Amino acid sequence: MSRFFRLFSVLFLGVVLLGCGGGEPDELVIYSGRSKALVDSLVSMYQEKADVPVRVKYGSDAQLLAALQEEGDQSPADVYWANTTGALGNAVNNDLLVELPDSVANTPARFVPSNQQWTPVTTRFRVLAYNSDQIDPEDLPESVRDLPKNRDLEGRVGWTPSYSSFQDFVTAMRVTQGADATRSWLQGMQNLNPNSYTSNTPMIRALAAGEIDVALTNHYYVLRLKHGGAEGEYEGDEEEEEEHEEEEEEQTRASAPVETYRFSEGDLGNLALVTGAGVLQTSDQSAAAQRFLQFLLSEQAQSFAANRVNEYPVVSGTEVPQYMVPVDSALGLSPEFELERLQEMDPTLDLLRDVGLL
Amino acid sequence: MTVTRAVDILRTRWYVTVPVAFVLAGVLVPLGYLFVRALQADPQTLWDLVVRWRNLRLLGNTIGLAIGVLGVTTLIAFPLAWLTTRTDLPGRGVLTLLGVLPLAVPGYVMAYVLLATTGTYGTLAQTLGLVWPRLSGYSGALLALSLCTYPYLFLNLRTALLGVDPALEESARALGYSRWQVFWRVVLPQLRPGFLAGGLLVGLHVLGDFGVVSLMRFETFSYALYLQYAASYDRIYAACLALMLLALTVAVLFLEARLLRGLLLHRTGSGTARRSVPLQLRAGRWIGYAFGGGVALLSVGLPVGTVGYWMADRVASGLPWASLGSSLWASVSASVPAAGLAALLATPIAYLGVRYQSRWTQTIERVAYLGYATPPLAFALALIVFTLGVVPFGYQTLGLLVTAYALHFMAEAIGPIRSALYQAPPNLEEAARSLGRSPMGAFASVTFPLMRRGLLVSVAFVFLSAMKELPITFLLAPVGFETLALNTWSYAEEAMFGEAAPYALTIMFFSACFVGLLLIREQTATGQRTEAA
Repeated sequence: MSRFFRLFSVLFLGVVLLGCGGGEPDELVIYSGRSKALVDSLVSMYQEKADVPVRVKYGSDAQLLAALQEEGDQSPADVYWANTTGALGNAVNNDLLVELPDSVANTPARFVPSNQQWTPVTTRFRVLAYNSDQIDPEDLPESVRDLPKNRDLEGRVGWTPSYSSFQDFVTAMRVTQGADATRSWLQGMQNLNPNSYTSNTPMIRALAAGEIDVALTNHYYVLRLKHGGAEGEYEGDEEEEEEHEEEEEEQTRASAPVETYRFSEGDLGNLALVTGAGVLQTSDQSAAAQRFLQFLLSEQAQSFAANRVNEYPVVSGTEVPQYMVPVDSALGLSPEFELERLQEMDPTLDLLRDVGLL
Repeated sequence: MTVTRAVDILRTRWYVTVPVAFVLAGVLVPLGYLFVRALQADPQTLWDLVVRWRNLRLLGNTIGLAIGVLGVTTLIAFPLAWLTTRTDLPGRGVLTLLGVLPLAVPGYVMAYVLLATTGTYGTLAQTLGLVWPRLSGYSGALLALSLCTYPYLFLNLRTALLGVDPALEESARALGYSRWQVFWRVVLPQLRPGFLAGGLLVGLHVLGDFGVVSLMRFETFSYALYLQYAASYDRIYAACLALMLLALTVAVLFLEARLLRGLLLHRTGSGTARRSVPLQLRAGRWIGYAFGGGVALLSVGLPVGTVGYWMADRVASGLPWASLGSSLWASVSASVPAAGLAALLATPIAYLGVRYQSRWTQTIERVAYLGYATPPLAFALALIVFTLGVVPFGYQTLGLLVTAYALHFMAEAIGPIRSALYQAPPNLEEAARSLGRSPMGAFASVTFPLMRRGLLVSVAFVFLSAMKELPITFLLAPVGFETLALNTWSYAEEAMFGEAAPYALTIMFFSACFVGLLLIREQTATGQRTEAA
């Protein structure tokens, strides 16, 4: 027994001692709700370029936000990087972020909140994805508000009531159309007997598998399904893209054909949403943190986001790949809406609980 | 009498007191945290959230799923355990290993695999032309969870079957029972602790699962709980739901304690038990192979094959070797010590519970299970608050992560050790004591070798769970510490299955190696015993 016993004691002690090292003081610590899969190479790029040690803690927006709140003053984090305006707004409401200097806040061409506590990093759009074998886009409504009227969609709709971007969309509807209209829209949708997914990935797979025929989602999920999205090293090579498309062509038989439908110009169903980042109150090196935010807004990082993650830039002049709707047209389709109002999450959550979705 | 003896032991033997105190603290801290957070809720909103029809439906779903999974896992695990312990089936070792491996498959991977297999565009339809409706809801969750959790029952039952003294069966046969009667009246009752321990783990696993039920779109309590945390940035109402989930767990634990009461299964005669004579299967062999092979194909072959297929697409662009290496090291350096520590902590607790049966010692044992049932996210948040308040220098260190794993998964370690202890006769230890050994020495030289098999299974359980763990790792790991599981999840979450595949396969491969090593030790343990006899 003792051999067994000793082996583990030694291992355990060793590990505990190893672990007690702690981090270096001049490290930039980022809490990233954005998935490692999407931003890892961007962080390495920065690390090489700026020659500073960067450490990232990945998690979900909500997990990290909860952790930040429980950590309080003792948080080791410098930057909070999130997927949604809702999460960033929540961080603002809980006094976690500091105001950014104009040098950072003036860089993006749009969507900067008036309190300047965070900066937008990329843009995404709400869309309706559909199975083009089963659905004729002519039959789809002009406005997302009329979607519940398409009774023939019963049992064929997918949505993500608990997912942040969907909730942002509901908040926008509540703010612009009022709570009652939103409630009846939600109830109308519920009458279509939709399939509820916890996130967009399983939903888009269900769409590709023919389980549902339309899905309320974000634009890049369709692109990622069709164009492979974040694969290979980023070069932005057109030829490579075409090759991938051909490959995909052969594989499409393994899944249903998925296309993107956009509602008419200015409709809420095309709403633009942003990802963003801010510097935390607890940061002991806000200058380094601000430099990182500047990097996220640089041509290099913005172009990376467009080509590899298929999200839209927030600075002017960055091109998006050809298979994406051009920046200006996409922005033109989205309704006028003050993104800051997405911070008013609580009434939305009450509404969702009220109709039994949460 | 036993209560005072137990208290005596706690007072005089530090190697019992320290682990017990540690475990109690490790479970009570999160519980206290949850209460503090829950009390911050606005009473009206809380009332609306707790008292509503939806919760009743969630309760029904949760219990229905748990019962279903228990049924299916029993149907899989029992015959498999019997085949690998009581028959002469060649290749039993391989079958055993295959019966453990599903524990290395993360639940959400299993769910994605099953989803990719079925449906109009699924693998089955593509390759064999079989169109099976795409799995979802109750049946999908039932299948995925059963395939992922039956090893808990299988290994516990195996340990129990191996520990049954064949002399008992032979006596029963000699006294006129038929083989069948011996099985029902002598063998089955002996398996009760093992069955309960395994069943408890399966049940608690189902109660706490989120990965599978969310992908299969089957709403249970933990599903609703997750939505509160993830969707609503809400720690407070989530805490309330977590407490409701814990209340359900307490009910299950009570039930188990009732069923365990008053068991006494060890040998009372002198000498060591022999190995039982294996049943000659002859033609039945093929039925055995068909069953074992079928289970292995579905629970191991299918996930490995599908994930391998996902990876095949990406192999051309090269595998991320460097990242695979560092995440493998991260996973192993946290999981191995955690497994050891959990077994170390679980031993005195199981020992107290079995040897000094009283309401008091059993409560300690049950409390350890509460740690397992506390939702991992809440558990991690509680440890953040506690560590920063009490030992801030320990925050986000590997030591903290290892401790958190060990405390959270200790319940998995208790069952097998407990089953082994039930079958280890206490009079041997008493004899060693009367021959002059210290209490610790007597335990080490007599009881420990008898419970080694249980210990090995415990270590395997905790290791495999820690390798897959997500929420605790996300929140408590040192910054920049990325395990295989974190990488798998991160890519799968973004639908990049090709990129996720190498990490998932590495988890499975190394888990297989580790468990294989443990099983070899089990074989030698058995071998030594046979020789000794």
